[in-house]
Amino acid sequence: MAKIEKRLPFWQRESFTPFVLLFPAILTLVLVVLLPLLFSLYTSFTGYRLIRPDSLYNFVGFRNYERIFTDWDFWVAFGRTVLFLTIALNLEFLFGLGIALLINRITWGQRTLRTIMMFPMMFSPILVGYQFKFIFNDNIGVLNNALQSLGLSDGAIPWLVDKHLAMGSIIVAEVWMSTSIFAILLLAGLFAMPRDPLEAAKVDGCNPWQVFRHITLPFLMPFAFIAMTIRSLDVARAYDIVDVMTGGGPAGRTELLWTLIARVGYDNSRMGQANAMAYVSILLSIAFTYYFFRKLIAARRYMGGAN
Amino acid sequence: MTKAGLKLLAAATALPLLMAGAVNAEDIDYGNFDGYTLRVKLIGGAQYEPLYAEIEKWEEMTGAKVDVLSRKNHFELDREIKQDIAAGTLDWCVGSNHPSFAPQYGTIYIDLNGVIPKETLSEFQELALANSTVDGRLVQLPRHSDISNLYYKKSLYADQGNKDRFKEKHGYDLAPPETWEQFKDQAIFFANAPEFFGTQYVGKDEAITGRFYELLIAEGGQLFDENWNPTFNSEAGVRAVQWFKDLYDAKAVPAGVLNYLWDDTGLGFASGTVALNLDWAGWASFFNDPANSKVAGDIGLVRAPVGSGGKRSGWSGSHTFSITETCDNKEAAASFVSFLTSHERQMIEARKGLLPTRGKVWEEAIAEFDGAGNDFMVTVFETYSQSMSEDAFTPPLIPQWIEVSNEVWPRLQAAILGEMSPQEALDEAAESAREIMEDAGYL
Repeated sequence: MAKIEKRLPFWQRESFTPFVLLFPAILTLVLVVLLPLLFSLYTSFTGYRLIRPDSLYNFVGFRNYERIFTDWDFWVAFGRTVLFLTIALNLEFLFGLGIALLINRITWGQRTLRTIMMFPMMFSPILVGYQFKFIFNDNIGVLNNALQSLGLSDGAIPWLVDKHLAMGSIIVAEVWMSTSIFAILLLAGLFAMPRDPLEAAKVDGCNPWQVFRHITLPFLMPFAFIAMTIRSLDVARAYDIVDVMTGGGPAGRTELLWTLIARVGYDNSRMGQANAMAYVSILLSIAFTYYFFRKLIAARRYMGGAN
Repeated sequence: MTKAGLKLLAAATALPLLMAGAVNAEDIDYGNFDGYTLRVKLIGGAQYEPLYAEIEKWEEMTGAKVDVLSRKNHFELDREIKQDIAAGTLDWCVGSNHPSFAPQYGTIYIDLNGVIPKETLSEFQELALANSTVDGRLVQLPRHSDISNLYYKKSLYADQGNKDRFKEKHGYDLAPPETWEQFKDQAIFFANAPEFFGTQYVGKDEAITGRFYELLIAEGGQLFDENWNPTFNSEAGVRAVQWFKDLYDAKAVPAGVLNYLWDDTGLGFASGTVALNLDWAGWASFFNDPANSKVAGDIGLVRAPVGSGGKRSGWSGSHTFSITETCDNKEAAASFVSFLTSHERQMIEARKGLLPTRGKVWEEAIAEFDGAGNDFMVTVFETYSQSMSEDAFTPPLIPQWIEVSNEVWPRLQAAILGEMSPQEALDEAAESAREIMEDAGYL
C-alpha cells in the first residue's frame, strides 16, 4: 500500500485529498476577496488617483492615515454611522420582535402575512430611497400634505434638511426596509421553541409577561444576535438609501462613512485616501461583529446550548 | 398688412428655404462603415433623448450600428469613466463630455483638430470651441450650450395690487429684476410659504457651487487669484453667500431647497408655485406647454441680473462629445459626432429650447419660431443669444474644479443653515481648496 502511494503524484495521495477538494474554493477566495483586499490595502499607502493610473506607484507611507486622524469630518461621519447603526438596529429588533410575536399568534392566513411582511426586502435600496425621498419632500411630499390636510401642521416641515429630522427620516427608510429580516429570523426562533417550558411555566402560575421575559426572550436572543450581526454589517456600509435621499447633506448632516468614502474615492478621484478611510471603517464592522458574536455565545450558554 | 399676416408670409417663405436647407445638409457624406459597431457612452435624461432618436438615421446612412453602453446623468457617467480609466477598460469610442469635467480626464480623448475638417469647425461659435479646448487640444465637440436666465410669472408683475404694495415697501417700481438685490427683494415680497415661493435654487453638488461662483463674479470677486491662491473668501464671496442665506431665512425658498437639483427647480416653476426661476433654456418649451406646466402662457424672461460688481452672472458650459484615444475606428467615431452636432441635429435640439453651438442654427431657429408665431421662443432665443455672447464665462478649466467644488458646497449649505457664518464657511472652504491646489502642484 505504502509502495503504491509513493508512486502516485502528490496531488493524488489520500492525505492531500482535502486540499485538492478545497482548492477551487480557496482559489476563488484568494482571487475574489484576498487579492482585492491586499491591493486596496496597498493603495491606501499611495497617492492613487483614479484618473491617473500611474499614481498607483506613488508611495506616500502613512500620509493618508495621518490625514484621516486629523480629519474632523471623517470622525463626525464615523460617530454618526455608529449612532445610526445603534438606533436602526434597536428599532428593527423591537419592531421585528413585535411583528414576529403577533404573526406567531395567528392561526389563519399566516403564510400570506409572512409573504406580505417580506415585501419591503424585495425592493432595491435605491427604489426605497426614492420612495422615501418623495414621501418626505417638504413641498410636494405625501407626509407634509397629509399633515396639512389633517390640520396637524400649517407649515412645510423640512424632513430632509432639519438637523435631527433628516437623520430620523433616513432611519425610518432603513427600518422600513429591513425590519422583516429581524421578524423572519425571530419567527423562525418562535417556531423552533419547545412547548414544554411554556406549559410548565403556566402550570407554575407565571403571567404572560413573566413567560415572555424569562422564557421566550432568552430563547430568542441567539436568533436576535445572528440578525444583528448580519444587519450591523449591512448598516455599517449603508450608502444607497442615504445617497438617494440626501446625498450626505445638507451641510454634511447625514454624512455616513460610505457616502464620504464614495465622494473622496470617485468624485474627488482620491482612491488612495478613500481606501485608507475604508480600512479604518472596517474596524467598526469588526468591532460590532465581535461584540454581537460574544453576546451570541453568552446567550447560547445561558440557554444551555453549545459554546 | 397685419402682424399676423406678415408672420404668415414669413412662414410661407421660410418653409421652402428650410426644406432646401434640410436636403442640402443631408447631402453630407458620413462615410460607409458597413458591419462596424460603434460603442458609445452618452448623457441621459428627457431633454437629451430627442437627439438620440436620430441615431437610426446615421446607422442607415453608414451601415454601422451604434451600441449605447451607458445613458446616465453626468455625475454618474463621470464616475463610470473614471472607473474605466482606472481599470484600463476604455474600449468604447464616443463619450458625452462637458468643459467642467473634461480637464480631469487627461489625454484619454483625442484632439479633434485635424480630425474634424476645419470648414466644419468654422461653423461653430468660437467661444464654444475655446471652452472645449484643454491644454491647446480640442478634446470635445460642443453639442449645445448652457447658461441661465431669469424666468418669471408675468401675471404677478401685472397685478396692480402687487405693484402698489411693492412700491410702498421698497420705494421703487415693481419690474422684473435687473440686479441680484432686486431679485432678492422681489422673491421675498412674493413668497407666502408653504403655498407659494419667491424663487428656489439648486442646493447641493456642483450645482450650488456654480451658482455661488457666478454670483461671486457678479459681485466683483474671483475664485482664485492669478497664482491660483483661493480668494473666494472675500467680501464679495460673503455677499454672495448672504444672498442665499437671506432668502432661506425669509422662507422665500422651499425649506428643502438644499436637496434640490435641476429637475426640482424646473418642475417647481412649472407647478406654478414659484415666482422667479433662474434656469437654462432647455426648460423653455416645457414651461410653455400647457400639458406639462401651469405657468404656460404666463412666462416672462429677462437676462440674469447684475451683481454689485457691475457684472451679470453667466456661469456657462456646453454639453459635448469626445472620441477616445483607444477607439478602434476613429473615422466612424468622427462621423458619428459630426452627425450629432450637424446643422440638422442642432435644429432638432433648438426646437426644444437647447442652445445651439453653430451660429447659423441660432438664426434659423429664431426665423422658424418667428414664422410659426411662437413669440415666447423668439424671446427665449434672443435673450439667451445675448447672454451667451455678452455674459458667458466658465469655471476655471482645471482638473481640480470638481474637487474644489466638493469642498465648497457643504460649507455653503452650512452657512445657509446658520451652522457657521458665511465668512467662517468660506475661510474653511478656501483653506481646503488651498490644500487641493498645493497637492496638485499649483502652489
